[in-house]
Amino acid sequence: MSLTGEESPSAAPPAVAPEPLRRSRARSAAARVPESAALIVVLAALVLFFSLKTPYFFNTDNFINILIASAVVGIIACPATMLLIAGQFDLSVGGATALVTAVFAQSFVHYRPLIVSVLLALGTGIGVGALNGFLVTVIGINALITTIGTMGVMRAFAFLETNGQAVGFNGFETLGVTRPVLNVPWMVWVFVAIVLLTMFVMRATTFGRSLYAIGANPAAARLAGIRTRRVVFVGFVLSGAAVGLTGLLLASQTGQGSGNAATGLEFSAITAVVLGGASLAGGRGSIVGTILGVLVISVVNNGIVLLNIESFWQDVVRGTLLIVAVAIDQLRLRLTAE
Amino acid sequence: MTALLSARGVRKSFGGVEVLHGVDLDATPGSILALLGENGAGKSTLVKILAGDYVPDAGEITIGDARFEHLTPITARTAGVRMIHQEFQDAPTLSVAENISLGRLPASRGLVRWRAVRERAEKVLAQMGVDLDPGAPVGKLRVGERQVVEIARALSDEARVLILDEPTAALSQQEVERLFAFLRRLREQGTAIVYITHRLDEVHAISDRVQVLRDGSVAAQGETTRFDRSSLVEAMIGRAAAAVSRPPARTWELGERPALELREASSAPAFEGVELRVHPGEIVALYGKLGSGSAEVAEAVFGLRRLSSGVLLVGGSAKPAKGPAVSIGRGVGFVPADRKREAILPVRPVAENVAASSWRRLARLRVFIARRSEAAAYRRWHDALSIRSRNDPLQPVITLSGGNQQKVVLARWLERGSPLLVMIEPTRGVDVGARAELYASMRELASQGVAMLIATSDYEEVVQVADRAIVMARGRITAALEGDAITTSRLLTEAGG
Repeated sequence: MSLTGEESPSAAPPAVAPEPLRRSRARSAAARVPESAALIVVLAALVLFFSLKTPYFFNTDNFINILIASAVVGIIACPATMLLIAGQFDLSVGGATALVTAVFAQSFVHYRPLIVSVLLALGTGIGVGALNGFLVTVIGINALITTIGTMGVMRAFAFLETNGQAVGFNGFETLGVTRPVLNVPWMVWVFVAIVLLTMFVMRATTFGRSLYAIGANPAAARLAGIRTRRVVFVGFVLSGAAVGLTGLLLASQTGQGSGNAATGLEFSAITAVVLGGASLAGGRGSIVGTILGVLVISVVNNGIVLLNIESFWQDVVRGTLLIVAVAIDQLRLRLTAE
Repeated sequence: MTALLSARGVRKSFGGVEVLHGVDLDATPGSILALLGENGAGKSTLVKILAGDYVPDAGEITIGDARFEHLTPITARTAGVRMIHQEFQDAPTLSVAENISLGRLPASRGLVRWRAVRERAEKVLAQMGVDLDPGAPVGKLRVGERQVVEIARALSDEARVLILDEPTAALSQQEVERLFAFLRRLREQGTAIVYITHRLDEVHAISDRVQVLRDGSVAAQGETTRFDRSSLVEAMIGRAAAAVSRPPARTWELGERPALELREASSAPAFEGVELRVHPGEIVALYGKLGSGSAEVAEAVFGLRRLSSGVLLVGGSAKPAKGPAVSIGRGVGFVPADRKREAILPVRPVAENVAASSWRRLARLRVFIARRSEAAAYRRWHDALSIRSRNDPLQPVITLSGGNQQKVVLARWLERGSPLLVMIEPTRGVDVGARAELYASMRELASQGVAMLIATSDYEEVVQVADRAIVMARGRITAALEGDAITTSRLLTEAGG
């Protein structure tokens, strides 16, 4: 079916006056200034700053350390970006990751085969994600409340599973320790793979488009025929899958399962996502931005350690970054609002 | 009797356009004045000036002995002018008594005197002759009762002039009668009442005097008994009616099997016993004022509302649709009334907005979607619907004007190829030029075999676009008009009852 051009009344005056058009152009340009550009500037400034302050910063080994530190937060931050773009949160990632390390450790030290332990760990992560998704989309509890609840429950389960102790093991070094190529460990390569995969999903699949649409306007997305609850549910399951993977990486890296693992992970992930330009109002954000956000956080943490500053300052910086990022988001929303 | 409140020569402009051209109004104690007029006639602006919400550009307002150049919400209230808004301005979780004292709780040294709160409520409710529990939370009350609480709040604050803005829009017939009985009692007690409405039948039922506004001027006024229905309609629409023309006669054949059919369809309490049929190639308008049930019928067709009885056939199938995705799959496209809240994805690109309901078809293997194919979908409709944008598929849709946003929403369903389009208020907030273009596009679509059902409260829209018009009032069909029988005055008359 098509409309012929000649049927539309050509005599009608242009509906858009030139003046407001120019203004909206300026506005949308302001809205489109890639957060990424600003973040790259910040990142470069940080690198320059720490390079001048300490001789230990600017070298390959330290950069690999920064990437290793980025991997854990980064793998979680990818689905967290997806969820925030759809207007959702998952704060249970830290607690759930601890549970995954605990489940894996208990299974592995009791001589279950490695593959069974790995599958158990992944299943635990996915299970937590499915539970969150069920509570949010079927029962209809707000995501923030749901995942604050499961955050506490999952970390407590982790302590119960390990009787409050760290459970150590040997023989699972591949993921977190082994360095197959370029002296870079597997976990960093996994991180890179996850980033590429999520970038592809967000850019090139109907699922990614649906996430953006739901975040931009949930009511309109539903009325346009998008199965909003199904999409959000899958988003939570993906977050759970990332938790399973991250738990395995941490267990392999540290050689133990513990209720204390991954404390503050949800905090770092959300900070990175918001810093990367995803809007708390939904509908906007990118994986590239998030990864830059992750790198900023890792560089700051790394620099603080190298400068021998007390590590508590890491939390001060991270908290401040989160607030600054949200403030910028608010300013941008005000700028683009009518 | 002399007027308690008098406005003289009130003028008001918004953004350089004058919407009130020197209007007078008198409200007399013990009398009910009906203020009548179409949307945009200036009724709301006028009463907002009387309530102190707007500052007039010129004119004078006298209340009792006091003269004002303009009122503020506080001076209006102190002078005894109170307005009951269409949307309740109450606190639903608080009790009836607290709501009546809202904003002026009796207190000593910062502590609320709850007994005084209750006594005040009991006194005013008794005076009004209403039996309501002062302790009940307002949110639990029926709509009509909530309105009574709003009026009680005004009265307990010694309102001498009561302004009601379309108070019956959301009321059932029974509640309307109760409200009228109650307003008559207030009239006997000496309150001056200004009653805004666009329902003609109410004018004769309740008012002593009537004043009709048209395009910001007084078009008629006087004793209500001097007017009949048709003279009121004439005063309301004036010459404007002549400017609205019917579309050229249909040159195409209608499809034989109806795309949509409703038989004795009811969905309590919104509508009852609705019968209608839309054939491929036909535009049927469902005309009715807010609360008439026309929008709700449209929602039911799209599966957003369950029928309590009767039959709904979409493309011959009676299977009930569970949710929008299913309805869309069965070939129904839906243009909701509130474009901003329910239709557009504001920050997303125009191309995504067009493609949103067709992503699976546009994608390779139903999953992998390329920007290119979205952009192609956008370009297909950009020229055909003359969407005015930067011709940049990535431009956020929110930066387009209202009319062009609506074209984007229409393009969404054209891209989807929906054989039945259901629209609610399709040109609300769309300027006149873009409106004409939208109507032309809709006629063109009909010629290609699309069936359209348009629920609207804009009678000019009905005249300009519809092949047939079904008029609804209070949840029931009151008339079915066809061809040249569709005129503005017929529509207004049939919808008034």
